[in-house]
Amino acid sequence: MAIVISKRIEYDPKIEKAVSNIVKLLNHDYKISKKSIALLLLQSDESIMEMVKKREGKVYKLIAEIVEKTCNSFDKPLNYVIAMNRQRVADDIAGKAVTYSRKKSSMTVSDILERITINPITGIPIFVLVLYYGLYKFVGGFGAGTLVDYLEGQVFDVYINPVVNSIVTTFIPWKPLQELLALDYGVITLGIRYAIAIILPIVGTFFLVFSVIEDSGYLPRLALLIDKVFKGIGLNGRAVIPLTLGFGCDTMATIVSRTLETRRERIISTLLLALAIPCSAQLGVIMALMSHIPVALVVWIVFIFLVFLLVGYLASKVLPGNKPSFYMELPPLRFPKVTNVLTKTYTRMRWYFFEVVPFFIAASVVIWFGNITGLFQNIINVLAPIMHLLGLPDEAAKAFVFGFFRRDYGAAGLYDLHKAGLLSGNQVLVASVTLTLFIPCIAQASVMVKERGIKTALAIMAFIFPFAFFTGFVLNSLLNLLGVSF
Amino acid sequence: MNCRKNQSILEKVKSYFSNKEVMARGKRKENKLKKIILVGSPNVGKSVLFNILTGAYVTVSNYPGTTVEISEGKGKIFGRSIEVIDTPGMYSLLPITEEEKVAREILLSEIPDVVLHVIDAKNLKRMLSLTLQLIEAGLPLILVVNIMDEARKMGMEIDTQILEEELGIPVVATSAAFGEGIGVLKEKIAEYIFSRNIDADKKVG
Repeated sequence: MAIVISKRIEYDPKIEKAVSNIVKLLNHDYKISKKSIALLLLQSDESIMEMVKKREGKVYKLIAEIVEKTCNSFDKPLNYVIAMNRQRVADDIAGKAVTYSRKKSSMTVSDILERITINPITGIPIFVLVLYYGLYKFVGGFGAGTLVDYLEGQVFDVYINPVVNSIVTTFIPWKPLQELLALDYGVITLGIRYAIAIILPIVGTFFLVFSVIEDSGYLPRLALLIDKVFKGIGLNGRAVIPLTLGFGCDTMATIVSRTLETRRERIISTLLLALAIPCSAQLGVIMALMSHIPVALVVWIVFIFLVFLLVGYLASKVLPGNKPSFYMELPPLRFPKVTNVLTKTYTRMRWYFFEVVPFFIAASVVIWFGNITGLFQNIINVLAPIMHLLGLPDEAAKAFVFGFFRRDYGAAGLYDLHKAGLLSGNQVLVASVTLTLFIPCIAQASVMVKERGIKTALAIMAFIFPFAFFTGFVLNSLLNLLGVSF
Repeated sequence: MNCRKNQSILEKVKSYFSNKEVMARGKRKENKLKKIILVGSPNVGKSVLFNILTGAYVTVSNYPGTTVEISEGKGKIFGRSIEVIDTPGMYSLLPITEEEKVAREILLSEIPDVVLHVIDAKNLKRMLSLTLQLIEAGLPLILVVNIMDEARKMGMEIDTQILEEELGIPVVATSAAFGEGIGVLKEKIAEYIFSRNIDADKKVG
């Protein structure tokens, strides 16, 4: 390798002077060059200031003096002056190394697509189409319909469950233990069946769609499109990611919300995910539940969306902090690479399977325990009066208790009630709305504690719990008042 | 409140890496594993490169901010083991977001044998600013001008020879998603970490 002298930027003489003075005062090793440290100090980088103060001790006072003096001798912030200096050098180098061989050809297909996806007039219909085909048709229709029907109706109901049930009842004499493993709420017949036959196909198809959307470069465009609406609820377009991911799995989405810039945004999106974003499993069951009453489904969507906007708006008013700024690069629209999409879907599914599925199994053990000890019956008895306020039968309480363990267990509980003919159309609607808003499942709750801290998590849950029931109550009263029945 | 939160994450990263470092140092005596760190803005293909260099897969994304987790992996270059660290996206050495803070914290706590600054060829002009800062920091740097395919489609031609002369560091043009330029990149890395001589040492510092 030839010996070359690497590029050295010439800064403003006053800055150069300050840098060399500071460098002389730095006695310790910083892993990166002292010049860099000096420049960062001049730009008032807090963590570097902290570090230097700790390592250099008394000398730091002298350094701080140099920094202050230099700062005062410019009328613009030093980070701006330094960045401009650097950019000039970068522009100069780029100018030498880059040539444009031909003018950009007029309008290609991708240019047109790029334009119409961010223009609100064309962008919103495109977004609706993406939702309709991606979420409703593919995830809802193919994943939650075709795949679930096959896996649950064929594989489990016909082959696995009968075999497991007969083995367990033949070889295990003790009834409670039989119930732990098999029968109605068993680890295998309920926990594993849910995980594999219901959740996996839904979440898998969702992750597939999400990976395609993500790799195509569509998400940042959606973020730009939706930024204005999101500003009103204290978020910026960036929050599109965790919030859309929430439709797949709220637990995963809560983890992803750490990509947001400020703590305030992270709290708002955690709250909204816990409150108003149904996960794919829950969504699947709720859609099935209301498939015969499409008007109620529309009311459910509109109602949840209004709650989403209202609570977001209120949270952004209540929580202190600055309004988020939006800066995001728009990458070109790309045709996603199939292998990348598949591997990404696979890694997400694997993560989901190993991180979240154990919770289902644990949940079915807890449900088993709650059932045989009569603990659930007690909780259900306590909840029964609340159910009456919402115009729901006592049995609905069970759905809510189970809903805490898995969002969709709750919805599935409602589904059973509905099948048994115990719920009217209005009750289905009120119960679905309340259950959607109801506290997140165990997995999500524990992630909330991990990501946002116990205090914030508890505060969010303390808000959601009464709020969900109150909203259900309001909706029920509204329906009665207007004399609407589905 | 915000600061404290950041602080605690930084502390975690710090302690995480200082533990790692102690372990790595112990190992180095017997094994001398070479360490490569990937840096660059979000959405330039760092994760794809990480994947190529380690053979493991982490989530690759077209979206800024998806690579928040720090990925570490082991791989081989010309039969010799290397350790690779992928950092969250950073635009400048002066951090604004939490991700940038974490990325810089890694640069301040690790002792890399080579740092790959990955940039998007289309935005060369803007991204060179970080390259200059990394050179200034005295890090053993290779500039990877990635996503060349899209730049070419736009009619851009980039002379890596001139870039090397101007910057004084090795420069490689790649389209990592299509495997283009990876051979050259591996050669340059090998040249850098396995046969670095005293002269090469002198030029940074």
